[in-house]
This record gives sequence, structure tokens and C-alpha cells, in this order.
Amino acid sequence: MRSSLPVEHTASTTLTPIQPPVVSMTPGAPTYSGTADDCSTEQPGHHIRAVRTLDPRTKLFLLLTANLMLFFHVTVTTQIILVTIFLIPLVVAGRWKLTLNFALTYAVLTGLGFLDPDALGVPWLHVISALAVGCTMMLPCFITGAYAFTTTSPSEFICAMRRMHVPESVVIPCVVVIRFFPTIAEDYRQIRNAMALRGIAAGGWGLVRNPAQSLEYILIPLLMNATNVAQDLSVAAVTKGLGHTGMHTSRTQIRLRIIDWLAMIVVLIPLVLDIAGVIQ
Amino acid sequence: MTADVYSNNVSFTYEHADEPALIDITLSIASGQCIVLCGASGCGKTTYSRIVNGLIPQFFHGECSGAQRTCGLDTAIEPIDGLTPLVGSVFQNPKTQYFNAKVIDELSFPAENMGLPPEAINKRIAKTARRFSIEPLLNRSIFHLSGGQKQRIALAAATMLSPRLLVLDEPTSNLDAVAIEKMRELVAQLKAAGMTIVVAEHRLAWLNGIADRYLVFDNGRIAHEYEAAEFLALSPGCIGAMGLRALDLQPYRQRIAQLESQTASSFSESPTPLLSTRNLSIGYRGRDGFTRTIPDLDFHAGQIIGLMGHNGCGKTTLVRTLTGLIKPASGTVLLNGKPAKPRELTRAGFLVMQDVNYQLFSDSVREELLLGLDESDPANTKHCNQVLEDLDLTRFADRHPMSLSGGQKQRVAIGSALMCGKDLIILDEPTSGLDRYHMEHVGELLRQLAAQGKTVLVVTHDEELAAGWCTDIINLEHNEDASKTNS
Repeated sequence: MRSSLPVEHTASTTLTPIQPPVVSMTPGAPTYSGTADDCSTEQPGHHIRAVRTLDPRTKLFLLLTANLMLFFHVTVTTQIILVTIFLIPLVVAGRWKLTLNFALTYAVLTGLGFLDPDALGVPWLHVISALAVGCTMMLPCFITGAYAFTTTSPSEFICAMRRMHVPESVVIPCVVVIRFFPTIAEDYRQIRNAMALRGIAAGGWGLVRNPAQSLEYILIPLLMNATNVAQDLSVAAVTKGLGHTGMHTSRTQIRLRIIDWLAMIVVLIPLVLDIAGVIQ
Repeated sequence: MTADVYSNNVSFTYEHADEPALIDITLSIASGQCIVLCGASGCGKTTYSRIVNGLIPQFFHGECSGAQRTCGLDTAIEPIDGLTPLVGSVFQNPKTQYFNAKVIDELSFPAENMGLPPEAINKRIAKTARRFSIEPLLNRSIFHLSGGQKQRIALAAATMLSPRLLVLDEPTSNLDAVAIEKMRELVAQLKAAGMTIVVAEHRLAWLNGIADRYLVFDNGRIAHEYEAAEFLALSPGCIGAMGLRALDLQPYRQRIAQLESQTASSFSESPTPLLSTRNLSIGYRGRDGFTRTIPDLDFHAGQIIGLMGHNGCGKTTLVRTLTGLIKPASGTVLLNGKPAKPRELTRAGFLVMQDVNYQLFSDSVREELLLGLDESDPANTKHCNQVLEDLDLTRFADRHPMSLSGGQKQRVAIGSALMCGKDLIILDEPTSGLDRYHMEHVGELLRQLAAQGKTVLVVTHDEELAAGWCTDIINLEHNEDASKTNS
């Protein structure tokens, strides 16, 4: 039970707020002496999250739970319960297609995992069902990960992490990664177009027929481009003071609401029951 | 006189580079001036802009000597976030310089990082939004804005902290004429408000009347220095000889208009065009979906057709339809006089993307050209050698494509199209961010392809390229009609 404490508790009890290193103010550099009261500033009527999603910290908690499922080798029953729960916030956020894809993939993989190759008399099926079981164990992480990363804006994430007193050296790379995801999707489309024009692995089955080669053709331009984009983004962020050593503020409000606490409790129950051996 | 930028004998060599990028730059820029850094690609103007905004030596490492003071701070020892409230920077690529998903978050980002209280940030946002007329965009996602709008947001975000100095690194290289004009207005306004402005730029015409001084860089040194009046009085030939883009685009625009009217009136019935469109309507579905009709077009072998028009008028969608990457909304595309399916179009056409890095897949230039072909067939190897020779790539045959320069990569991509025997070659903005010399190179290449009997279609905002090298011009903006609907 100890290991599955909500993230926020561990963070707020063990860490004293990180004091920024002493900044030597050079003459000429303006100092902003305002009430720099961290992220917790409430201000009326501004910037309310438009899409109905959970607090970023709750999303991280879901992600953590998914990882714990993998760690504790939960039973299939628990897995099915939790996967179903994880899919609910995705639907609420309006990601119908993503939800459906995940649900179908999970159903098929679980089905494959239930196959009994010996009874069917096809021993090579062992490979497939073992692979399928492996994939089903990873899938909860993908689902919660996709939820966390596709429904959170970088500014919400920065704010959430700063409230949890995560060190800046962790915050900045994380934010760059989040900013990166949409770029990757766009890059992928471009690369697939380029491949189609060259007649490489074209068509729906093109990728499947020659997976290793196709992966190489996609990955090389993707990574090459990623390094350029990462540099550009870092330059832009650095000149805008992302690495500034002083206190940062935020216009974006995040708040743990009842629904957030509920979500955390609801995912925790099956996991705890499973670890305690109640769910067999 | 106070100097916002003061450089004394600044030299810089990038890490892992053999040649210095800047040699002995001594310069001072007075408060409130607008300085243009120009010169051929690789001349050191971008490097100098990085010296000014402190990215060198704080972010880009290398060997740096000399003294640099920006707004009174020594950039060698001052951490870069000390410069943030004093220096605003805008960069070349609109797609990769915003950090937040929403416009309003992007504007508040620098202010949040400086620790301003939220009420003060909101006030600044309101002020900045009014100044840049971006109020309607505040709650939009930046991903879905046009390049020109993105650049306007970047400029707005750079001025959020009311800096004394603005550093713009090729801010217009991806913009169309309308967006450049808008950029001009804003920069003029910021200068009038007393900001010091340093612009590294290829396209010079938009800065007429704003710039106070021009510095021509050559091989890391300041080769010439002109007061604005002196510089603008230079003959076009003299500007061209320095490898600079035109100062006056009027003659080019006239030529384009002339080509366009010729294209519209010419009506050759004789040979079957390689590609033609009949009652075509293009578009796509989805959030930003739209459809628009396209006038009937004919593309013949040997033509170099310039496809122009402002961003968002459907150029890219048309090109994607013509190469079969998306289906037409209605109507037909004829290939050699016969209606063609998208799949056939993809086989016949090739698109050199603006970002050519997406379309290079192999370890060496030769392998890139032979990709998908039978390497043991002597006919293919012979053809490959011929293509390498034609495109002046023989020297690089064994180099990794990613180690080549932008122009060389472009040629490799074209080479791969020639190897596949494509007849229609489309280039998307092949000269964005190129200096005169490289632009002319691209022009020559277009001509060479046309001479080989290929049909060449160039999507471009570059008036100099279009006027100098295209045989026909189609402006989609002028053919726009009420049928364009946003759904």
C-alpha cells in the first residue's frame, strides 16, 4: 500500500519548497518584484479549462497506477476492470476514436491470451499468446500515457509539475517532450507521403510486409527532423526565459476537484484488492 | 549616444567546425536604430544575431573571443535568462518557435517565466493583443494558424516583456507577400516605439524605409557597411553582385502579372497535356476542412509553371491532389488525356517537399537514387551515374544525404524522382530562405528538368524565382471564387 500513495502526498511531505539559487542581479537587468506567489494564484473568471479532463496530477497518478499494475502482475480480472476504468476519461475528453482503438486492441489481445494452444493442437500458438499477454500488460500504460499527453497543454503540465515541486531539470525536458508529440504525428504523415511518392512500402499492407525496413525508413527522417525541431524549440524556450532561476508564475489554474480524488480512489481500489489477494 | 549592442573584435567558431563563423566583428548599434544583417547563406549573419541575443555562447557552444555587450550586459558571463527581459527574439521557422498550444499561453509564457503576477500578465496580454491585432486569435490553437499568423504571434510574444532590443533571424523566409507586408507594418511600429531592431534577412525589399543601416557579411566578416540612403541608391546589378536579393520587387511583380495573363489567354490544343484538371474541386474534411473549385488547368511537358497565391488559398491541397496523396472532392484529373486514379497520379508525379529531410531514406546518395530499383541491373547503374552527373552530385555519391547542404539534398530528392521515371515534378517552396546565388541555382535546375521534357510545377512565394524562371504562372488567389467554403 505504501508504494501506491498519491503522488502529491509524497511530494508535498518529503520536499521543502525548492529555493532558487541566489541570482546575482546585474545592474541594468530589471527586477520584477511582484507578489510572485507560485502557481496557486487564483484569479477570477479567467482561463477555465475548456475540455473536460482531469487535473494533470490525477493523470500522472493514473499513469503511475498503470505502471504499478505491470509491476505487481495483476490478475486478468483486475486488468480488465482497470482498463475499462482508464478508458472512461478518454471518452469524456471526446477521444472516441482513440478509445475505440484501444478497446478493440485490448479485447483482441486478451482473447488471444486466453487461447489454449495445447488443446487446439497448434504448439506455435504459444508464441502468439505469450506475445499477446505481454502486450496486454503494457497496454494500460499506453492508454493512460496517451490520455495524459494528448489532453494536457504544456502550460498545465508546467504548472502541475511546479506545484509538485519537481526540480526544473526534470520539468523542462518533460515539457519539451509534450510539445513534441503533435510534431511527431505531423512528421509521420509527411514521411508516409514521401514514401508513397517513392513507391516504398505504399498501401495499407506495405508496412506490414517488410516491417524492419519500413521502420528504418520512417525512423531515420523522423529522428533527423526531431533533432532539428528539438534545437529550435529549446532556443525559443531559452530566449523566453524557461530556464530562469527565479520564481515562475502561472495564469493557468489547475485544481484537484472532487472528481479527481474520486478517480484516484476508484483506480486504487481494484489494485489494492488485487495486491491483497482478494481478486483472484 | 547609447549603444544597445556593442561588439569589439568578436570572433566565433562553432564546436566541431573547422572554419570560424565570425571573424573580428567590431560594431556598435545605437538605441532605436534598425540594422539589417545581409549576405549570402553561411556568411555569418545568423551567427552574429545569436551573438547579439546571447544564444552564443550560452546555448551554442564553441570558441569565442572578443567582447560583446548587449543592453549593457556582458553576454559571456550573463546567463541568458538575464537577457530575456531586455532582448526579444524571433526566428526563421514559424512551426518550431512556439512552445504552448494556445496563443494566450504563448504570450504569457515569457512573463510567467519572469515571475510577473497574473494580473500584470493579463494586462500585458491585452495590450500586446491590441497592438498586434491578434485579439480574435487569443483562444485559438497555434497549430491551426497560418505561417504568417504564427510569425505575428512569435513577434507579439517576443515583445511581451517590452524589451529594448529585438533580434529577428530571417523572420519572413516562410511568409507570403501579404504576411510580409503585415510584418513590415508591425516592425515599423515597434521601431517607432523606440525599440532597437536587428534583422538578419535575405529578402530585403520589405525593410526599405525601416532600416537605418545595412551590414553586408561575407565569410564571417563585415564586408561593407552602408547607411540606408546609400544602400538603396545602389544599382540592382551591384546588389546582385554582392549575392543579395532585390531591393525593389516591382519589376518582378510586373513580369509575373504579364506571365499570368499570357498563361490565362494561351490555349494550345495540339499535343495532349501530361496532366489536366476538369471541373476539379479540392479540399479535405475535418476541423479545418474546406473545399474550393479549381479552374481547368493543363500542364504540358517542358513547362515550368509557377503556382502562386497567398497562404491558405489551397496551393498545397492542389499539389497533394495532383500527386494523388488525397482524393479530389469532385471532378477529374486527367493523366495523358485519360482520367486517372489517385494511385496512378502518385506513380507519375513527385513532390519535392519544403522540408526535404522527410524524403531521404538511405545511407548514401547513390543508394538513395537506387532505392527500390534492382542494383545489379547495369542499365540502372548507368542511369544512376547519368543522373548524378546531370545534377552535379557525382562528388557526393558516397556521402550520407543528411550531411549535405539544403540545396544538395533538394537535388538528391529530384534525382530520386528522375530515377523513378517521374514525368511531373512539383517543388514546394524550393527557395525559401535561400540567397540569390542559391535561388538562381534552383532556377537553373528547373530549366534543366524542363529541357529533359519533364513538367515542372513550382509552388512559390518568391517573386524573383517566379519572374526569372517560370514559363507560366497560375495564381490561385485570383481564381478564388465564392465556392470556397469553410465547413
